[in-house]
Amino acid sequence: MASVSEMYDVTWEEMRDKLRKWREDNHRNSEQIVDVGEELINEHASKLGDDIWIIYEQVMIAALDCSRDDLAWTCLQELKKQFPGSQRVKRLAGMRLEALEKYEDASKQYDSILQDDPTNTAARKRKISILKAQGKSAEAIRELNEYLEHYGKAAFCLEELMMTNPHNHLYCEQYAEVKYTQGGLENLELSRKYFAQALKLNNGNMRALFGLYMSASHIAASPKVNATVKKANVKYAAWATNQINRAYQLAGRGTKENKCSVKAVEEMLESMQITMS
Amino acid sequence: MSWRRWLAMGEVELSCLAYVKMYLHACLFPRCSVNGLLLSSSPAGGAVCVTDCVPLLHTHLPLAPITQLALTQVDVWCAQTQQRIVGYYQANACVSDSSPTPCALKIADKIAEQCNNAVLLMIDGGKMSPDYRVPPIVMYERKDTRWTLKDKHTIMLRQWEETRDIASQLLDSGDHSLLVDFDSHLDDITRDWTNQKLNAKIAELASPANGNV
Repeated sequence: MASVSEMYDVTWEEMRDKLRKWREDNHRNSEQIVDVGEELINEHASKLGDDIWIIYEQVMIAALDCSRDDLAWTCLQELKKQFPGSQRVKRLAGMRLEALEKYEDASKQYDSILQDDPTNTAARKRKISILKAQGKSAEAIRELNEYLEHYGKAAFCLEELMMTNPHNHLYCEQYAEVKYTQGGLENLELSRKYFAQALKLNNGNMRALFGLYMSASHIAASPKVNATVKKANVKYAAWATNQINRAYQLAGRGTKENKCSVKAVEEMLESMQITMS
Repeated sequence: MSWRRWLAMGEVELSCLAYVKMYLHACLFPRCSVNGLLLSSSPAGGAVCVTDCVPLLHTHLPLAPITQLALTQVDVWCAQTQQRIVGYYQANACVSDSSPTPCALKIADKIAEQCNNAVLLMIDGGKMSPDYRVPPIVMYERKDTRWTLKDKHTIMLRQWEETRDIASQLLDSGDHSLLVDFDSHLDDITRDWTNQKLNAKIAELASPANGNV
């Protein structure tokens, strides 16, 4: 079978850089990672220097996804040899046990991590995933509540995340969605503000744009708001409509592919305008 | 309504196109719960013929805004293309539990408001394998105000083996990555959530003599 480097005419450096990019973007294209990573490990290990350890980790996780236990085992062994007693490697061993559905053993592995380091959230989260995978929802919830005790509920978690990551438009947008879902006028107004904030941080975030449009429209249509608030929200919604239309017009240029979605959006915005006035 | 159509009430037909896209959606995001809408191009009354589906989300299924947005947009598209929303499908991330989540029930309820014999379809992840002998799906229908399990014998998938093989072929060739759900569309609005390209591929593979699609 032809190697990756032969098939795509790439050098080992390009393969290594690709793996790094996938790590940074948190891509979980496991089959590709296995193909590229396995070749790098087998043919070019000596050239990779210290990068090899993080590559072993990345390839191991991808191998688990593709049911390549042989490869996962090899990577794990190399990491165990290099980093004996490491919590991080212990967690990987736990993940492998989970992939093999050896849940009790996996749980014990995570327990041993938590004994040494009770604040290790990664291990705690894996324990909860195991309970979920086993269908033990009541126990999963109990464990989750323990874990969340320090953080409160979903909205509060996101508030924490936003405080420590003020430039992350995704947390902002997600918080807005949670507020929108909770419903009620106050939450809708909050959601609109956070959608707007997410847009300030990234004006290409379509979810935030649509979210702003929808929250503003709902507020404007609510019988509980006074004329001033209504007027302001009609303006926000109109602005969002404009931006959405522009984005879709731009996207529609040159491709036949998304003509359907462009038309659908246009009609939707038109019809919602009518109900708001 | 004709006598034959009246007899067919309570039956649900699932087309090759709808099944293959749902199945591929679940395969494309194996670590996530996914959901989507079931559509019909047949007139109301008689059997429910699910002729197509629109894959919706693979993230944050229970959050409202994007779901509402998607429902509205699909509604508009359906009106433009003479289709109706007749159901909802979901595949849970956790394969050991294929029961409908509160979010699934909520959305199905909303659809049932407009379509009185709407169906709720859960994909049973535990039964998804290339050579499984029966379709890995469980269907629910609304009786009074509750969603109850449908009798397996009222669910029809014509040419199941061909359908199953088409799905496998698309997975093997990597063409399943052509599938665009609403979530992916929002990440890049040049991508088409009506999946015209993938539909064409599926039509190509479907046996022309049987008129599956």
